[in-house]
Amino acid sequence: MVANKIIDHVDEYVRLFIAHAPFLAMATADAHGRADCSPRGDYPGFVKVLDEYTLAIPDRPGNKIADSFRNLAENDGVGLLFLIPGLRETLRVNGRGYATDEPEVLARMQTEASEPELAIVVEVAEAYFHCGRALVRSRLWDPASQALAQELPPAGEIAAAQLKVDINPELLGQSLEEAYRKLY
Amino acid sequence: MTLTQRIVLEHLDRVAEDVLSLTLRGAHGPLARWKPGAHIDLSLPNWLTRQYSLCGDPADREHYRIAVRHERLSRGGSDYIHRYLKAGRELDISLPRNNFPLVPAREYLFLAGGIGITAVVPMLRAAHERGTPARLVYVGRSTATMPFVEQLRSSYGDSVTIVDTEREQRPDLGLLSAGLGPSAVVYCCGPASMIAAAESVFDPGQLHTERFRPARRTFAPNTAFTAVCARSGREVQVPADESLLDALNHAGLPVPSGCREGVCGSCVLTVLEGEPEHRDEIGADRSQVAACVSRSRSPRLVLDL
Ligand code: FES
Repeated sequence: MVANKIIDHVDEYVRLFIAHAPFLAMATADAHGRADCSPRGDYPGFVKVLDEYTLAIPDRPGNKIADSFRNLAENDGVGLLFLIPGLRETLRVNGRGYATDEPEVLARMQTEASEPELAIVVEVAEAYFHCGRALVRSRLWDPASQALAQELPPAGEIAAAQLKVDINPELLGQSLEEAYRKLY
Repeated sequence: MTLTQRIVLEHLDRVAEDVLSLTLRGAHGPLARWKPGAHIDLSLPNWLTRQYSLCGDPADREHYRIAVRHERLSRGGSDYIHRYLKAGRELDISLPRNNFPLVPAREYLFLAGGIGITAVVPMLRAAHERGTPARLVYVGRSTATMPFVEQLRSSYGDSVTIVDTEREQRPDLGLLSAGLGPSAVVYCCGPASMIAAAESVFDPGQLHTERFRPARRTFAPNTAFTAVCARSGREVQVPADESLLDALNHAGLPVPSGCREGVCGSCVLTVLEGEPEHRDEIGADRSQVAACVSRSRSPRLVLDL
């Protein structure tokens, strides 16, 4: 198997990957090492390469970014895993993160006339491509795999059961759909 | 409902520092006709859509030409084009739309700032072909960053003034205005500061402007209203925190969109009754509404939809 080289900066291939990735998972931990991983997504290239050593990730509603911000304030270590639909290889970037409200950074993340209020800047320490075996085994991009989604009850039902509240799961589901309509 | 045209990127040429000219060829034969001032939406592989003025020759039915500046604070449009688009690539574009048409006049003054020159090049050519006196004042920060300078100078000679703001003063618009005949028409395409300067000097009746980005303005707080779709008979509630465009799309009434910030005109709908509250940059009239940004002053807005 080809070993993937770990580099300490954003080269042209890392940049190319980020420019086409609409999704990433972000791992942080607090001062005690309690870890957290959260998803982020938008149009491909929503993560901006500020320079060879720096990325910026916008905050969008629903990202539950507060947890990441709290963690980063205590412990600036951050790990990112980028995915491109249809591509088996993934991109991993590790480094140090901090929150920013720098106008020039936020301006690059404006969508539909609204800007995020905050972004996470990541100073890259390591970047490398991860081989695609996990994605091959998981059949992640195989359209037939989408049938798995049908095996779970609707999200509203799960939420109602977990919250142990006497609320109509369908209404909960509707309000979730409602929230999905307002993405920015 | 949106009619798209498939194109092949025939070639990309650097025409100035940070500016690429893109030549688009129709993938299935001739492209739709257009007139000076028209633009297209270009759909990029990263799902973004961007508007570019057509700057080629309307008589060439096989090709369109656009020019794109690599913006320093790119949100992903110009950066993508400059870094990743290669010749041979197929892409979708919209039909040409024209929010900036060249009206007949006895005399023209064209003011172009930076990449705003793209919209003006075909207008200037058309004016010269008609034999109408036309002047161009083309302002930029250093001639190296300004596309088409040589071509404009050699085609139109003295009627073109190039202003390099690194070395020269900005043009005195008051002086230019004083030199114009009473029936002259002024076209201005450039950054917000240039448009503001033109608006402070020229009469609104004689000035036509086009912006790349919406001006920062503040509006009265949003209110909810009902969109009545006359053709389908449907009524759609538009809450205060949702755009008319989103509300219609979510209700299953497809309305095309491009910029989603009131500059491109792709989402413009016909208003049959009610009073739209215009927030667009394309100068929609009483009988139109740009669904992406504009709202309604009346509780009901009846649309031809
Ligand atoms: S989508 Fe461009 S004006 Fe509405």
